[in-house]
Amino acid sequence: MIKKLKVQSSKLKILCFIFLLFTVHCSLFTVSACSPQKEKIYRKSKALMDTLITISAVSGSGDKAEKAIDRAFSEIEKLDSLLNFFSDNSELSEINRNAGLKAVAVSPETFEVIEKAIYASGKTSGAFDITIGSVTTLWDFHKRVKPEDKQIKERLPLVNYKNVILNKKSSSVYLKKRGMLIDLGGIAKGYAADKAVEALKREGIKSGLVAVSGEIKAFGLKPDSKPWKIGIRNPRAKNKEDEIMATIEMTGMAISTSGDYERYFIIEGKRYHHILNPKTGYPSDGCRSVSIIAKDGSVTDSFSTGIFVLGAEKGIKLLEEMGIDGIIIGKNGKIHTTPNLREKLEIIRDSQRQKSTD
Amino acid sequence: MKSSEIRRDKKVLTERMTLADILLLAALVTISISGFVFIKEAFPQGTDVRIEVNGKLAYRLPLNTNTTITVKGIIGNTMVEIKNKKVRITESPCLNKICIHTGWIDRGAVVCIPNRVTVFVDRSEGKENKAIDAITG
Repeated sequence: MIKKLKVQSSKLKILCFIFLLFTVHCSLFTVSACSPQKEKIYRKSKALMDTLITISAVSGSGDKAEKAIDRAFSEIEKLDSLLNFFSDNSELSEINRNAGLKAVAVSPETFEVIEKAIYASGKTSGAFDITIGSVTTLWDFHKRVKPEDKQIKERLPLVNYKNVILNKKSSSVYLKKRGMLIDLGGIAKGYAADKAVEALKREGIKSGLVAVSGEIKAFGLKPDSKPWKIGIRNPRAKNKEDEIMATIEMTGMAISTSGDYERYFIIEGKRYHHILNPKTGYPSDGCRSVSIIAKDGSVTDSFSTGIFVLGAEKGIKLLEEMGIDGIIIGKNGKIHTTPNLREKLEIIRDSQRQKSTD
Repeated sequence: MKSSEIRRDKKVLTERMTLADILLLAALVTISISGFVFIKEAFPQGTDVRIEVNGKLAYRLPLNTNTTITVKGIIGNTMVEIKNKKVRITESPCLNKICIHTGWIDRGAVVCIPNRVTVFVDRSEGKENKAIDAITG
């Protein structure tokens, strides 16, 4: 048999060899992870909107994922340039400069995010209010600046969302009183997460996660066919092991958390943090942290702030009325959740967390 | 003359090749290629420390080096220390020093927004990363 083959033409042997190599390569590539069909999570982070943003996209192609992620980032960059409170060139600054003077025509995005903010103000009876800007600027949580009570009282009349006049027809925004300042810090990041997810979907991405700091929006399933798993930070973490208080698996939803531990300073045992009550101008002391889960990031971002100010009892009641899920850590560390959420939430290290008081 | 000789040699070589030779050759090639694939899969690239300034990559270093580097940001120099597979920012020209207060990290990132310096620890998909995809709060 072998002898017979030996006399056959050399061409056949070479063909045979090439064929063997080809089959071996094919089988190798299908088993290895280099296979182009296998889906992977591609991740990229950038410092934007004064925070760290991480975008993940699931795709079979690295190029496709990267292109989509870059598109999503440029969407966020655009929003940052429109809505940045500290940049003189933003549309928001233009609105603020013209407070009490005239209405300012703005882009559809700026109009939409302010419209959504006013909706959240209405629902939370003013517990969330973007016109808090004039009071926020008095405080500095990095430099530990606590303003005089007199200063705060002077500015409080400038805080009222009802004095923001929206004109849909001309896509314009007018602040009624001179000195009023809109600060979108409590909604812009959640809104940016929404827009980034839209951009990923437009690029044909079926599954992904956008985390604008703690404002997170997830869609689709991971390559292992599981939903995305989100950790909720422990408001009184003592160390790295203690960092996560609970986890929740979700997809097609957004989650945001407002906590008194993010930016704060302590004077004479009292904690001064960045979530101000629009009615008093002082940090709200109703809760330690509030996490909200809903379809839109703009809703979770604004309502987590608003419900923090409302406090646990009123907060849970409002969430139930609206059919939105939430978890509230009260003043003394007690966990309140909406009934829907109880089975979905996995709470870790409960005993340890309960012990800590402050 | 010479080229025809070479051609003849080639012919002799292929004609003397038996089926067993072909199989052996194919097996050797397979083993060598699968070796590459195996190593790539079994030992993913070591964890990297990536330092970006204003969104542009400035440094990329392995996490298991012990070193201190000076990173030039937009308002001054940020000192980054890598030690015992952990990273921290030790000095920064920013006012609030949030980056320094962050302390040691072994995954994720530490950012100095005012100086536009971001230090990432790119952990290859380990167990910790698979457990939780993102943290809120």
